[in-house]
Amino acid sequence: MRRSSGPKRPCNTLDGMPVRWDSAVIRGPSVKQLITEICRNRELIWALAMKELHVRYKRSALGFLWALLHPLLMMIIYTMVFSTIMRVSIPDYPIFLISALLPWTFFSQSLSYSVESVVGNGDLLKKVYVAKSVFPVAAVLSNIINFLLSLVPLVLLLIAFRYPFHWTWLYLPIPLLSLVLFTLGCSFFFAMTNVFFRDVAHILQIILQAWFYFCPVLYPLDIIPDRYHLLFRLNPLLYPLNGFRLAIYHGLLPSPQSMAMSLAGGLAALWIGYLLFRRYQDTLVYYV
Amino acid sequence: MSSAPAMAGAARVCFAGVVQRFRVIQERPDTLREAFAHLFNKRTSYYNFEALKGVSFSIRDGEVVGIVGRNGSGKSTILKIIAGVYRPTAGVVKVSGKVAALIELGAGFHPDLTGRENIVLNGLLLGLSKKEIQAREQRIVDFAELGEFMDSPVKQYSSGMYMRLGFAIATEVDPDILLIDEILAVGDGAFQQKCLARIHDIRRRGTTIIFVSHDIATVRKLCERTLLIKDGILLADGPTDPVVARYEELLQQPVGA
Repeated sequence: MRRSSGPKRPCNTLDGMPVRWDSAVIRGPSVKQLITEICRNRELIWALAMKELHVRYKRSALGFLWALLHPLLMMIIYTMVFSTIMRVSIPDYPIFLISALLPWTFFSQSLSYSVESVVGNGDLLKKVYVAKSVFPVAAVLSNIINFLLSLVPLVLLLIAFRYPFHWTWLYLPIPLLSLVLFTLGCSFFFAMTNVFFRDVAHILQIILQAWFYFCPVLYPLDIIPDRYHLLFRLNPLLYPLNGFRLAIYHGLLPSPQSMAMSLAGGLAALWIGYLLFRRYQDTLVYYV
Repeated sequence: MSSAPAMAGAARVCFAGVVQRFRVIQERPDTLREAFAHLFNKRTSYYNFEALKGVSFSIRDGEVVGIVGRNGSGKSTILKIIAGVYRPTAGVVKVSGKVAALIELGAGFHPDLTGRENIVLNGLLLGLSKKEIQAREQRIVDFAELGEFMDSPVKQYSSGMYMRLGFAIATEVDPDILLIDEILAVGDGAFQQKCLARIHDIRRRGTTIIFVSHDIATVRKLCERTLLIKDGILLADGPTDPVVARYEELLQQPVGA
């Protein structure tokens, strides 16, 4: 059954066998490829995300409780600083704060994890073929799960404050979707650039810090003087964060423009981020 | 057993004029500061190294092919291109069927996960589905002979245990093409024998095997055809005995000759 072939055969076909990988194939449209990659690797992505959560909480005495405690403790600190020391006069400040703080934390933690996700798996990428996009996607997925867990303390807080659950909670999937798309796009971008310049991981921490104060998380947008509003509205994160706060704290729906802006921002970020990631993904392996 | 229809003698791997160029960096701008510095003084700090300089060959279904050559001649690069790790700089590579690489065992193990958890994660990384892994788990456990260590984190494993588990997973992938790179030097004598027996088993099933080794005796035993690579050029391609003889001749020459 084993036949030795002559040393030089014409190479343009594999005798009708399906070709698994062909170095000459040019890739298809980016969005379609991303969806295909995610679908094909869904079990791997899930396992990597679970691994991440598992490792994050494994050696700590309280384990998964940290996912619940962390946002509560942050909220207590900020509330003490802003409503006790700085005397911000916003009714139910803890709820005002946490409604935007939770989605922000999801965003910033996702980026902190994904920026290292490709570099951290460099050893593996040099030995086995794995679609590189699975690592940032898994990093974001693990933080989505974390975010969903952190809704538990939010609910407990609302109950403790006897705060009403507005029907606008039903709207939350929209800002969540926009936020996830936006986060994914940024994650692709930072995970890729960090391979080429390791400074990115450090710069990212500064960017996140600045971005946090630039987003109306601790304060309402109204306290910003009118002439700066346009500047703040250029921030694509404003729209999903605002969606969360309006729905949870104010019990209002955002304007249709704001909804559109939040989805458009998410899609644009994902498209640009993945396009850049894909452009360099074959080169990554030489630099990790 | 095989995922692609096994047509006897159909081509599995095809290389046509494959060039693989690496930038060997002397001082890579690792930080932005250095990158800025490079903007102003345009001195290149890398040179291009061609690991493969136009290699063409084709391997048919069921063949067992050895690749020999000195260190740095490009053997591993060929395997990594077949595995899809590198995209060649020039030339065309076609691969059909499922590829499993015994390149570095246990790459992708997470130290904090147990052996059992790593079987799942590693199997997924190697392209198995969760279902396929569950079906193979017991056989992997049996082959690796890890006993109760199966449920301890792999960071507590000895390097031999690590390799055993890696080998057990990688050979359970049931590939159409198995790439082996100098990995039989692991474990104790008994386990080496077991690994070799396993490879012979896989070979008997008709799997295409590409075997890189400096161990000429094993190449002679395992492969009926051998490629000789020198400095990125395919020097010889044919029945093992004459090619290996030529390789041994080459070894007599001083390096760089």
